[in-house]
Amino acid sequence: MDPYTTGDDHLSLDDHILNLLADESYFGHPLHGALQDVMTLLESQLKRLESLTQISERSKPANGPNGRQLILSRYDHQISKLERSQKISDRYQAILNDLNKALHEASTHDQLTGLPNRRLMSDRCRSEDRRAQRLGTPYALLAIDVDRFKSINDTYGHEIGDQVLVAMADAFRRGLRGYDICARWGGEEFLALLGGTDLSMAVTVAERLLETVRCLSIEVSGATLHPRVSIGIAERRDGEEYSDVYRRADEALYSAKQAGRDCYMLADH
Amino acid sequence: MMNHVASSGGALNLQVDGTSVTPSVTADWNSGQLSLEGESYPENTYEIYDGIISWVEAYLKDSGRPLRVKLHLNYLNTSSIRAMIDIFDRLQVAHDAGHDLSLLWLYDSRNPRSAELGEEFKEDYTFQFDIDTLSD
Repeated sequence: MDPYTTGDDHLSLDDHILNLLADESYFGHPLHGALQDVMTLLESQLKRLESLTQISERSKPANGPNGRQLILSRYDHQISKLERSQKISDRYQAILNDLNKALHEASTHDQLTGLPNRRLMSDRCRSEDRRAQRLGTPYALLAIDVDRFKSINDTYGHEIGDQVLVAMADAFRRGLRGYDICARWGGEEFLALLGGTDLSMAVTVAERLLETVRCLSIEVSGATLHPRVSIGIAERRDGEEYSDVYRRADEALYSAKQAGRDCYMLADH
Repeated sequence: MMNHVASSGGALNLQVDGTSVTPSVTADWNSGQLSLEGESYPENTYEIYDGIISWVEAYLKDSGRPLRVKLHLNYLNTSSIRAMIDIFDRLQVAHDAGHDLSLLWLYDSRNPRSAELGEEFKEDYTFQFDIDTLSD
C-alpha cells in the first residue's frame, strides 16, 4: 500500500519519489526520465510561486525533519499565504471603495441637510439645458428661500437655524416628486429643478411644497417655531440657459417676499 | 552575519523615514520595539521589508528579550500584506517556541474600518495581538 495515498503525510510522497529516482534498477526506463522531468518542473514552478509570494529570500517555512523543504508542504504554505493575502487585500479594496463613495458623496452633497450641493445641482441643470435644447422638453426652476431666517438665527441661535434647514430639506424631499431634484443652493436658499415640467405643473408642485412646509413645527425652549418659505417659479424659455432661468426665478422669489412671504410668484414666460 | 548585526552597536537599530507611499520604520534593539507607521504602497516591497524581516529574525534569534511590535498602517497594497504575513509568521513561530512577544495594531478613530483589517490579520495567529484605537 502506498503510504502517501492513505494519509496526509506528504513527506512520504517526496521521499518515495526520490527513492524511486535513486534506484539504479529503474535507470533507463522511460518513466524514470519522465518522472525526473516532472520533479524538475515542479521544483521550478514552486520557485516561481515562492518568488511571487515571498518578500524576502529568507522567507522560507520551517524545514522538514531531514533538513529538506518538502515540495507539497511548500506548495501548501504558499497557497495558504496567497489565500490569506487575497482575502485581506479584498477587504482593503472594499474599504477603499467605500471611502471613495463617501468622498464623492461629500463633494456633491451638503453636509448639514444631505441635499445635493450647488456643484452637483449646476451639473444637473446643465444636463437639463442640453436635454431641453435637443428635445425641446420644458423644465422649471423653483427658487425657495426660508422666510425671516436671519431673525430665527438671531433669536434662537445657529443650532436652531440649522434644525430649521434640516426640517426644510426633509419637507422638500416629501413634497417633491421622485424625479425632481432639490439642492441647498446657498445659506437658507434652496433650488428645485423640475424636469419635463411646465409652469402650470410647477405651480401645483410649489403649492404642495408650501403646504408641506406649513405643517412643520419645531420645538425650541418655551416656544414652537413655524418656519415658512417663499418660492419664485420660472420655466425655461427657448434659447435660455439655466443661469437665465434661475435669475428670473430669483426675481420672482423677491416678488413673493414683497407680496408678504409664505407664497409663490411666477416669472413671466 | 546576524551575529555581526547583533554585536555591532548602531547597526542594531533601524530608522527609516516615511514617505507618501512607505511607512516610517523604527526598530530599537535595546528596548525591543519595532514600530511601523503610515501608508504602505511601495513600488519595491523588498526594499522596505527585507531589512525589517531581517531585523525581526535577528532579534528573535539573538536578543533573548521580549519584542513589542506596534503597527499603525492606514492602507497596504497586496505585496505589503504579504510582507506583514511574513513578519507575523515569524512572530508566531517564535511565540510557539516560548518567546515573549506582542503586537499592537493601532487604528485611527476616523478610520474605524482599519480595525476590521487588524481582525482579519489576527485571525491566523495565537500570539498576543491587540487592536486599539489611537489616542491622540
